[in-house]
Amino acid sequence: MAGWRTFQRGHASLPAAFPSPVSRTWKRPIAGLGALVSVALLALLFSSCVARDSSSGVALEPVNLGSAAQASTSTANPDQPSLLDSALAKVQDAAQGLTASRPSTGLEPRPLSGDALQEVLPKLGRAEARLIDIYRLISQGQHRQALVQADALVRDHPNFHLAHLVHGDLLSLQMRPVAQIGDVPDTKARAALDQLNVLREESRRRLRALTERPPEGSVPTQFLTLSSQSRHAIAVDASRSRLYLFENQTPAAGNGTLAGAPKLKLIGDYYISVGLQGIEKRLEGDKRTPLGVYYITSSLNPDSLPDLYGVGALPINYPNPLDVQRGKTGSGIWLHGTPREQFVRAPQASDGCVVLSNPDLERLLSTVQIRTTPVVIAPELHWVRPEVLDTERRQFEATLQAWRDTKGQGDLQKLKGFYSGRFQNQGRNLAQWWPKVEGEVRSTNGQRGLELKDLSLLQWRDSQDTMVVTFGEVAMGQSRGTTKRQYWARENDQWKIFFEGTP
Amino acid sequence: MLQTVKSTSFLSAPLRLLAVSVAVSAALCAPLAMAQTEDYAEVNRLMRAGQMSEALTKADQYLAGKPRDPQMRFLKGVIQTETGKPTDAITTFTKLTEDFPELPEPYNNLAVLYAGQSQFDKARAALEMAIRTNPSYATAHENLGDVYAKLASQAYSKALQLDAGNAAVAPKLSLIRNLFAADAKGVRPTTVAAATPPAATPAASTKPATATAPAAAPAQPAASGAAQDEVEAAVQAWAKAWASKNMQGYLGAYAPNFTPPGGQSRKDWEADRKARIVPRTRIGVDLSDINVTVNGDRASAKFRQAYSSDNLNVTSRKTLDLVKSGNRWLILRESTGS
Repeated sequence: MAGWRTFQRGHASLPAAFPSPVSRTWKRPIAGLGALVSVALLALLFSSCVARDSSSGVALEPVNLGSAAQASTSTANPDQPSLLDSALAKVQDAAQGLTASRPSTGLEPRPLSGDALQEVLPKLGRAEARLIDIYRLISQGQHRQALVQADALVRDHPNFHLAHLVHGDLLSLQMRPVAQIGDVPDTKARAALDQLNVLREESRRRLRALTERPPEGSVPTQFLTLSSQSRHAIAVDASRSRLYLFENQTPAAGNGTLAGAPKLKLIGDYYISVGLQGIEKRLEGDKRTPLGVYYITSSLNPDSLPDLYGVGALPINYPNPLDVQRGKTGSGIWLHGTPREQFVRAPQASDGCVVLSNPDLERLLSTVQIRTTPVVIAPELHWVRPEVLDTERRQFEATLQAWRDTKGQGDLQKLKGFYSGRFQNQGRNLAQWWPKVEGEVRSTNGQRGLELKDLSLLQWRDSQDTMVVTFGEVAMGQSRGTTKRQYWARENDQWKIFFEGTP
Repeated sequence: MLQTVKSTSFLSAPLRLLAVSVAVSAALCAPLAMAQTEDYAEVNRLMRAGQMSEALTKADQYLAGKPRDPQMRFLKGVIQTETGKPTDAITTFTKLTEDFPELPEPYNNLAVLYAGQSQFDKARAALEMAIRTNPSYATAHENLGDVYAKLASQAYSKALQLDAGNAAVAPKLSLIRNLFAADAKGVRPTTVAAATPPAATPAASTKPATATAPAAAPAQPAASGAAQDEVEAAVQAWAKAWASKNMQGYLGAYAPNFTPPGGQSRKDWEADRKARIVPRTRIGVDLSDINVTVNGDRASAKFRQAYSSDNLNVTSRKTLDLVKSGNRWLILRESTGS
C-alpha cells in the first residue's frame, strides 16, 4: 500500500479534536428550515408523551410525525384547537415554507410511521433503523417500549452516543418531563455543550433525511446515464449528512442512441460525516470534503489501517481532472469507517473524508466495485424523474457522436476543434498530448470509423458545466478497444474536452 | 439519595392472616405466633442495639429449625448488609426472591445492594420486579426513581463522553431494615396492630391509655364539625411544610410521642426524614379526598396523597392519626395504604 502514512495527514481528525470548530461551523445555515422542522417535530414527539404521562387517562392524539408534512387539512377539532394541534399547524406551515422555498431538491415529505417507514427501514443501517423505531415509539407515546428498545440498542452498540442520549432521555422520562432531545441536566450540558449540540444535530439530520425522501424511481440530476459496467453508484448529500447507495439497472442503449435513461434502485441510505470545516475542498489541509463527480479507485486493507479508519477505506480520485484544472490540492479523500470508540462521527468531523459507521461501510465494501463505481458528492442532491434528463443527454450525445465520427474519419484538423485550449493530462498541454491522439487515429487508418460502448455520462454543474464521460472506444470491426474517460466543459455554449485519459 | 428499605413489611400480609387465625380459632395457635414474633423482635432489638453478631447468631439458631422462614431470612439478609457482607446478603435476598417471588421487599434490598456496587442495571431490574409484584410499593418507586436518575446520568455521560469517574459515587438506597414499617406496603389494618403488640414500640404502648380517656367527650356535633376543620387545617399545614421543606414545621407537626414507623427511634426517624426531604429541589404534596373523623381529642384523617419530587410521582392513600395537644392537632401515627 502506498500506505496510510501518506494519507494520514489529509484525514479525519482524531475524535478528541472536535470541540469548538464544530459548533462554529454549524452556525452557518446549512440545515436551515428543515432542521428547525425536525427539531420542532422531535420536541413535539417528546412533549406529547410527557402530556400523556401527566394526564393519565386523558388520551391525547398520538403525534404522527408525518402528518406535519402532509396536507394541513386535518384540523381535528375546529371548535377549540388543542395546544398540540396549533403546534402541529405551525410545523406544517414551516414544512410548506420549506418546500416552497426549495422546490428543486425533488424530495417528498414522508411520515416516520406506517408503510412509509416500513419501506425505508430495510435500506438503513440496522442500528439507525432501531434508533428510528425508538423515535417512532416515542412519537406514539409508547415510551416504556421505547425504553426497552433503547436498553437493547445501547447494549448492542455501546459506542453509539446518540443512542445513549436518547436512552438517557427515556430513563429521565420515567421521572420527569423531557422537553427536548438530550434534555441533559445543566451541569452536564455546560460541561459538554459542543458534544450535546453535535448529537442533537446528528439526530436532526437523521430525522430530516428520513422524513424528506427521494420519490420512488427518481435519480440525482448528475446521473445522465450510467453504463452497466457500473453495477453500483453512490451519491452523497452533504446538507443531509447522507449517502445513498444505488444498484444500477439502466437498460442498454436503444435505437440510434448511445445510452438509455438512468435507472437507479436505491438499496442503501446511510448517515455520514464530512469535513470538520464542511464541504468544497480547495486546499490540502483545509479540512473540507470535495464536491464533484468521483470514482472509487481502490479498497484499502483494513489490517494496514489505524483504528481511526475503522473496518476499511475506499479512496476516491480526488483531485479529479476538473479539480486539477482549478488548482485544487490535497489528496487521500476516502470513504472510511469509524474508530472503535465511536459508532459514528459528528456531522462535520473528518479532515475531508466521508465517514460511515463500520456496519454501513462494511455494506459498501461488500457491495461496490472499485474503479467503476461513481461517487457524486453534492452540497445538496436534486432528484428528478429519469426522463427529465432525456433532452440534456441527447444533446450531449450528439456532441459526442460528432467527436466520434470526426475521429473515426481521421479528420485531425476538425478533431482538434473538439479540444479545449485548457487541455491538461498530467501536466501535458494539448500540444504535448496531440501526438498521442494522432497516433490513435493513424492506427485505425482513419478509415473504419469508431464505435462507443458502455457510455456513462455524469454531469456536474457549479460555476461551469462539466461532463464526466466514460466509454469503451472500439474501432469498427474490432472486438476489443480501450476504455476512456473524458472531461468536457461547456465553453461559450460549446462542449470542449479538457481532459482525456484512461480511468 | 436512594433509600434502604428498613422493614420487613412484606410480612404484614402473612401476619394479617395469622392475626385472623388468632382471633377466630383456638388459643393454641397464639403461643406459636407469639413465639415467632418474639424471636423476630429479639433479633430486631439486637440489631437496633448494634449487636449484630448476636443478632446473626440468634437468626441462625432460629433458621436451623425453620430454614425456609422468609422473615428471619430477610432479617439475616439485613444483618449481612449492615455488617458489610454484600455478597452474602445478595445471596440471601436472591434466594428469597426465588422462593417467594411475590414479595417485593427482597427485590428492593437486592437493588440496594446492587446499587451499592454501582450495578445500576441490576438494581433497576430488581426494583422493577419489586414494583411488578407490588405496584403501590412506595419505597421501591422512590428507589427506582433514584436508580433511573443515576442511569440517565450515566447514559448522558456516555453520550457526551464525559468522564464518568466522579459519577461513580453510589446513591444511597433505603434498605428495609425493621419490622412493620408504615411506609412500605403499609396495609396496617387495626387487626394487625392489635395482633402485634410485641413489636409495638414502648412509646406506642403508652398511648392506648390516653386514647380511651377522652372517649366521653365526643357527642358534640357542632364542636366536632369545627374540630374536623381544625384537623384538616393541621393536615394541610403539615403537607405545606413538607412541600416547602420547612423541616421545623414538618417535624413539629408530629406529636412528641409519635410512633416512628418500623420501630425507629424518633431521632433516627427525624434524621431519615431530613435526608429524604432536604436534598430535593422540588417537592409537591397535594391532598385530596380528605376524610376526617374526630373522636374527642383523637382524630383520624384519611386522604389521597399525590407526592411528586425531582424524580418521582406517586399517588397513594394515607392515614394520619392525630391527637389534640393544647390547641394543636399533632400526628401520632402515619400509615400508607387504604
